[in-house]
Amino acid sequence: MENVLLSVSDFVALTNQTLEYAYPNVGVQGEVSEFKISQGKWVFFKLKDAESVIDCFMAMWQLRVPIEDGMTVVVQGSPKLTKWGRFSLTIKAIRPSGEGAIKKSFEILRAKLDAEGLFAPERKRALPRVPKKVAVISSIEAAGYADFIKIVNDRWGGLEIDVAHVQVQGESAPDQMIRAFNYINEREELPEVIVLIRGGGSADDLAAFNDEQLVRTIAASRVPTLVGVGHEVDESLADMVADVRAATPSNAAQILVPDRKDIIRAVRAQTASLLPLLSRTIDQASTQIREHMWGALANIESHLEGVEDAIGGKRLILSQLNPETVLARGYALLRGMPKVGATIEVETAHAILEAEVKNARQK
Amino acid sequence: MPDKNKTIQEKMDELNALIAWFDSDDFALEQAIDKFKVAETLATDIEKDLKSFKNEITVLKQKFDSEA
Repeated sequence: MENVLLSVSDFVALTNQTLEYAYPNVGVQGEVSEFKISQGKWVFFKLKDAESVIDCFMAMWQLRVPIEDGMTVVVQGSPKLTKWGRFSLTIKAIRPSGEGAIKKSFEILRAKLDAEGLFAPERKRALPRVPKKVAVISSIEAAGYADFIKIVNDRWGGLEIDVAHVQVQGESAPDQMIRAFNYINEREELPEVIVLIRGGGSADDLAAFNDEQLVRTIAASRVPTLVGVGHEVDESLADMVADVRAATPSNAAQILVPDRKDIIRAVRAQTASLLPLLSRTIDQASTQIREHMWGALANIESHLEGVEDAIGGKRLILSQLNPETVLARGYALLRGMPKVGATIEVETAHAILEAEVKNARQK
Repeated sequence: MPDKNKTIQEKMDELNALIAWFDSDDFALEQAIDKFKVAETLATDIEKDLKSFKNEITVLKQKFDSEA
């Protein structure tokens, strides 16, 4: 190259070609300073450490997490020499690094999304009590996924589970999860729930779940969402925006489906409770019938007594009217014409006599 | 009689309705034994289904590592 004479533009182009070949994608960690957004489209800042500083440039749409001056970040990008002779890094991805920066970025984004109402309780949709078709977004190689599947299989059966295998950690994880959400939401046959899970990890490992676009994608899902990320103490924006938040992947499985053992116990108890109910009802019915019978019997008896009393009275009257009774009291019954010389019949209680009328006079 | 083609949820709904009937004003002793027998068969069916049903897990062929 010693004898080659280049124009300035050619030299810049050659340098960029060399840089692109040598560093197609370089990761750099440093502290952000002089962060500014221009025209809502371009982002400029400096990345520095104790001894050096470098200019950085990126498109606004590539900025997925809130960044502020003083934050430690890791950037992925490629070095470039501009036509004005300035050396800079063209950033493809940026993420906070270290607990403090991650927390700060998390809080800024949380406040922003909260102000938009993305976490509002009234947005939350209920999950079906027993879903039939479910989609799971996770890495099938992750321990959290294995725990989730084991618990779901232990607890319930008959589910159709479609699994979208994605990265759940690293730079490409948010985009992969977003594509999986979009793919599932655009399918002809929608599942009843989308479950997003990932096991525990460091704040850096779980950073993908605080990606603004992922959070907005979850919020916009047509299908109700259940998100279980990390351990119980971990908090991510993805699980805050979900319709239902699970503490862990195992907890997501417990929320998603009931335990078949509980259902079997409940079903047994329900049917068992019918038998005593049935026999109690039969007992009550027979007691009632017996009481009705007794009542009817008592009515008949009392009616009969009345009739008997009435008959007794009538019988007494009849007996008083009986001629035999009159004869028994010493009276006699005369038959025939009471004329002098006529024969008449005299009937007493004990005898029938024939007598001749010897005398007859008017009273 | 319980239908073999019904889902667990449908069978459980049917069982719940039957059990509610026993506590309702529609309860009639003449029908109670038959309904009890149906409930018992349903409960056995549900238990059998719950014990035997397996989940069907399919890993989607779709790749998500780049824009389709």
